Amino acid sequence: MLTPIDLSGAQERSLLGRTSPLVKLALAVAWLIGLVLTVEAGPPLLLAAVALAAGLTLGRIPWARLAGGLALLVAAAASIALSNFLFSASNTDPTATELARIGPLRVTREAAEVAAALGARVLAIISVGAVFAQTTDPTRLVDSLVLQARLPGRFAYGALAAYQALPRLGEDLATLRQARRIRGLGGGWHPRILVGLLVRAIRHADQLALAMDARAFGSGPRTTFRPIRWGWPDLAVGIGGLVLLWLAVFR
Amino acid sequence: MTTTTAGSAGAARGFAADTRWRTRDIIVTAIIGVAFGVAFVALNAAWSILSGAAPLGVFLIYGGWLVPAVLAPIIVRKPGAALYAELVAAGVSTLLGSPWGPDVLLSGFVQGAAAELVFAFTLYRAWSLPVIAIAAVASAAAAWIHDWAVWYPDYAVDVQVARGIAMAISAVVIAGFGSVALARSLRRAGVLEGFPG
Repeated sequence: MLTPIDLSGAQERSLLGRTSPLVKLALAVAWLIGLVLTVEAGPPLLLAAVALAAGLTLGRIPWARLAGGLALLVAAAASIALSNFLFSASNTDPTATELARIGPLRVTREAAEVAAALGARVLAIISVGAVFAQTTDPTRLVDSLVLQARLPGRFAYGALAAYQALPRLGEDLATLRQARRIRGLGGGWHPRILVGLLVRAIRHADQLALAMDARAFGSGPRTTFRPIRWGWPDLAVGIGGLVLLWLAVFR
Repeated sequence: MTTTTAGSAGAARGFAADTRWRTRDIIVTAIIGVAFGVAFVALNAAWSILSGAAPLGVFLIYGGWLVPAVLAPIIVRKPGAALYAELVAAGVSTLLGSPWGPDVLLSGFVQGAAAELVFAFTLYRAWSLPVIAIAAVASAAAAWIHDWAVWYPDYAVDVQVARGIAMAISAVVIAGFGSVALARSLRRAGVLEGFPG
């Protein structure tokens, strides 16, 4: 869980893997906005299916890995749908068709329709997120943010350096929990573990910053080890994604 | 490490904040974001479970998502720290797999930006408890509007208001007081040497 996603060579060489992370990010946001503009169940389900199919074929994400990533998240879709169903404004609207009455709660068909659409919306957003995470190498993402989106390099690469401490934070977490167990405090989760984790994280950040400063991080113009150039996959994926969005939502 | 903060502000003590980012400020802010990106995995799971049991009460843990936008600025005290920390946390959360997918980035942006605005309004000079509480509430307010549009568009208005109140309480207690308590613990642990405050 605390290990960064490792993309296989096939995933990296796939069409979606070679597409600029910036294009994928922009497309994800465009789809998100499109999804928010519709309150029907059809378009989001279509987009979810398209995203997953593209991830499996164009992104070469192993089937089991995609399914594993999604399984936990589907519960969230259900919870969003359920809570919108129960709290819907149309439940108190006397003109709405009553479906059932559970104690003081009245649920209506109008609420159920909207809830289903919102569940579908969550599914679509989750699918897009899973495909993005499974086809995007974090280093390439940051390269693209700096070289293509022109974000300030010190901050972008600083974030990447901190992100690469992730496995280490996982180890620290295990150590802290073991230490609690040795002291007879039980091996469960306790908020104090967070303090310990942050202490370790900040110590690590200090050492990292010192090492980076010693190598003159951010003190002059940078050269690029992994140049990123716009290419035909960017155009193909960008236009394809927008056309699909238009077909699914606005037509 | 404090010797690296020359800057123009040192002289005019207490008048203008030193707004230059040292490498240490950047990495510490980013790692706070990363640590909370990890903590969000647990929070997301808790949310998914609790929202079935208490669909409205669950908003009382919402403040947990707003902590980086408050904790990082009160530690490093630089312009942009709230937005930067919250965006890094959101990015890590997206990469680790979040039930909200890429929308986390949008959430992180509005939450971080709202807290940032409050700190910017004080010109990064006031770090009292009321200012911190207001920043936490602003962050929650932005999140409340965003979630209204994206996740809960069909809620009745009174439920939206109740949800907002729960979020505001949670923001003050968890993100506001929680961050202050965390920063105090960290200071006592001795890892904040060379940071203002």
